Amino acid sequence: MPSTINFGIDLGTSNSLIAKYSNGTVEVFKNPNGFKETLPSVVGFRNDRILIGDQARTYLQRDPKSVASRFKRKMGTTETFKIKAIAASKTPVELSALILKELKSFVHTGENFEDVVITIPASFDTVQSNATKEAGALAGFKNVILLQEPIAASLAFANKDKGADLKNSQWLVYDLGGGTFDVALVRIIEGELTVIDHEGDNFLGGSDFDAAIIEKLLVPELQKRGRFADLLAQMHSDSGKYNKLWHTLLPLAEAAKVELSTKTSAEIDLGTVSDLKDDDGNSIDSIITLSRSEFEQVIRDPVETTIDRMKRILTRNAIEPRDLKFILVVGGSTFIPYVRKRVEELMGIPVNAGIDPTNAICIGAAYYAGTKLKQVIRTTSPVASKLIVRASFSKVSQDSEETFTAKIEGDVTDLSYRITSGDGSFDSGLKTLASRIVEDLPLRQAAFNEFHLKVFDKQGSPVPIDLGPIQIAQGKYSVVGQMLPDDLSLVKDDLVAKDTRLELLFRKNGVLPAEAKKVVEVSKTIVLGSDDSIRIMVVEGPATRHSSTNKPIGVLSISGKQISKDLFKGTEIDLTFDMSESRDLTVSAFLNGTGQQFSQVFTPKQREVSPQLLASEILHLEEKVQAEFDDATATGDERTAAELGKVLNGVQDLIGMAADLSQDDVTDKKYQLEDRKRKLAQDVHELTSGKRLSMVRVAYEEAKRETADLVMKSGNDREKHQFAEIVSREKSFVNSNSPDKIQIVVDELFRIGFGILMRTPDFLKNIFASLVDRRASMNDEVLASQLIDSGKRAVASDDVEALRTINGRLINLLPAADQASDEMRAFTGII
Amino acid sequence: MSDRLGLLAMSGKSLIPKYLLQLLNNLFEIERKLIIQGDPANALRNVGRIKEALEQEGLFYEDPMGQDFAETRTDVEASITGSSTDNLKIVEVIKPIIRAGVPSNSLVIQKGIVVVQTKSEGAI
Repeated sequence: MPSTINFGIDLGTSNSLIAKYSNGTVEVFKNPNGFKETLPSVVGFRNDRILIGDQARTYLQRDPKSVASRFKRKMGTTETFKIKAIAASKTPVELSALILKELKSFVHTGENFEDVVITIPASFDTVQSNATKEAGALAGFKNVILLQEPIAASLAFANKDKGADLKNSQWLVYDLGGGTFDVALVRIIEGELTVIDHEGDNFLGGSDFDAAIIEKLLVPELQKRGRFADLLAQMHSDSGKYNKLWHTLLPLAEAAKVELSTKTSAEIDLGTVSDLKDDDGNSIDSIITLSRSEFEQVIRDPVETTIDRMKRILTRNAIEPRDLKFILVVGGSTFIPYVRKRVEELMGIPVNAGIDPTNAICIGAAYYAGTKLKQVIRTTSPVASKLIVRASFSKVSQDSEETFTAKIEGDVTDLSYRITSGDGSFDSGLKTLASRIVEDLPLRQAAFNEFHLKVFDKQGSPVPIDLGPIQIAQGKYSVVGQMLPDDLSLVKDDLVAKDTRLELLFRKNGVLPAEAKKVVEVSKTIVLGSDDSIRIMVVEGPATRHSSTNKPIGVLSISGKQISKDLFKGTEIDLTFDMSESRDLTVSAFLNGTGQQFSQVFTPKQREVSPQLLASEILHLEEKVQAEFDDATATGDERTAAELGKVLNGVQDLIGMAADLSQDDVTDKKYQLEDRKRKLAQDVHELTSGKRLSMVRVAYEEAKRETADLVMKSGNDREKHQFAEIVSREKSFVNSNSPDKIQIVVDELFRIGFGILMRTPDFLKNIFASLVDRRASMNDEVLASQLIDSGKRAVASDDVEALRTINGRLINLLPAADQASDEMRAFTGII
Repeated sequence: MSDRLGLLAMSGKSLIPKYLLQLLNNLFEIERKLIIQGDPANALRNVGRIKEALEQEGLFYEDPMGQDFAETRTDVEASITGSSTDNLKIVEVIKPIIRAGVPSNSLVIQKGIVVVQTKSEGAI
């Protein structure tokens, strides 16, 4: 149980952060919605909700009467913020408390902490400092320790650069943030970091630079390109013609500003703005290039002001720049190279930018918190009785919104609630809890929607309730009200395994209607006019199994007689699968090779079974069972062999029966045979899964050993990372009961290994040598000789690239059987 | 949820490499430009193929243009143009919403950046 405070908060004017010290490192927490470390210090009141952070910031300019910001600078004063929406006033302390409570929710470690370090500006006096402590108390913190921001920044630096010798030194901390500027002189007095003097400007920061870019650079440029009567005014005014353009340009200007920190020019691309026209309705060129020097001109004056302030501190304290150890820079705007350059030039001493300027103060606060002991004695607080929530909502909906209502039983005094969605798209904001609550929850179409209801007490601490996640499935269901009973997959050839494999199209329990798209490659050339065909087969059943064990839904066959020209191996087919609410499946295929489109609809009532396909499937199955039977017998697994023997007999019976079926059989016989075949295939699958599982586990261990070796000797960083990633996941697939899952990993390892080998000169040379041995059997003697000569030269000069290419071409000259191109074995014709 | 989505849910966006987000953002811009300016060579088909490849990896984007905006909506960062704050809808999309997972079960990875305006004034 840690006895140190550990938690530090940077309660900023524009943005706030929270971090925790733990075992020598600091973690800055992220907002679970949006994953940003910074929380805008903005609170909004709208429609009975309290919005905090980004949500509130949206309304800052347009609804200034109900959205409060920059309240930090009013702490300790009697000024309040009149909030129109609630017809009441809020003090800066109350508003800051709301920010603190929100920051608490970033902490994902599940702990309830009552001690915290909060930073304050060096300029804060006793009254302002006390106000900060009060805000902490309102937010449920029983013990608040204050820390001055320049000291926090210095601590972050001292902990980062542990070798720094700061004894007897003094330095400046230069903090240029989003909306404020502060500079402080810090010195070590009797071993303690102390702020000696400070200066600041409450209205100078990075956001001013963004506006300056638009006003001083973009507007003049736009005015050169088109006719604008009054561009800037029209941009600034709420009802102005170009107000939307102003808002569109702000994030782009900010992005350009950031880019100019690392590049000497940046582009603003307005090509996606649909209506970029001037007053006369003419379109204007949408790319504007900004140069770093232009940008520097624009920010020159504000930056000079900051330098002046620094000089003032030095003069006041009779210090020369050379008396300072360095200037520590913090605040996002210090990323701008010009800012650092000017500071260095005018001060004549180095700028220390070794710490992350955006979260340095928060990190420093956390380090400090790691040295302070907790003071709060753990009193066993009465366990808050769980509130009983009787919720009412539909678990299934076809609308775009679902009304959630709940009756709350228990004492709801001073409690508030909040509903958020699991995917980060909805947040109701904080609302007052009553005995009955109603909230409209927006639903994502054709999707699984999950929401969470949380209740908080006055201090923002969670109150337990007995309600699990609110789950609502949106989508249209069939008239019968069924979802997909099982996975639906596409059957493709697996040429290496000389078999077929399944590729998932629609998942079991999926919501209908649904659409899936796939692009496949033709695995064997279909000659115009031939009887050869490719088969686009869809089957129903677990996607981890095999086409033979699953139920056929439909087959779209495209034969040589239907195509308009030869369909070459390797060309692509765009497939679309449309599943209607009533489970009718439409399969469409666009052949890129011939430009033709084929399509067919399969209804669930009418199962397609082609006797010809059935017969070949049964033969295929027979071979498989025979092989497994032989194998079981050979390894002495008598029981499995016996069971497989029975299955084999069953399959052989089927062969006879299938042979009796005529091509256009209209009786139910083919369905019966198909059912029996499937059942037998499932039996084989069950019987051999154990064996396949242990075999593939062994294969994995082997592959892991071999690949580890290769990766260690000759792997590049990416391969090392991929390999480590696979091994870290080991437990999850090795212990699963799915041989296919493990096989996928074995294939992945093989690919990594093969990739490495293909770069290894010795490996390529060996392949070359074995190909040379087989030159006699090659198809084109003359070409083979030429290639072999080039190959020998490549071997002599260690030309890996050339050798790889030559090997490939020699392989192509080998007789067809050796190429392992199993065109004859292709079952579906697509891969 | 697939394994990948579970991992993402726990550690947030830090698992999605920045270059993939940049790729998706630029793909969105390419798509928008082709739609606005015309597409004589059917480059949209290739854009569609790239989107599919990424969707297979569990990454996709959405264009919220024209959709309603409410203060409770947190999958976009919005700024308001015009004078009213009621009945807002999205009139400009600067960055799309990027989600991870499958369309029927996903997590917001990048909030869209949009401009919103009240329905009664301005562009439809």
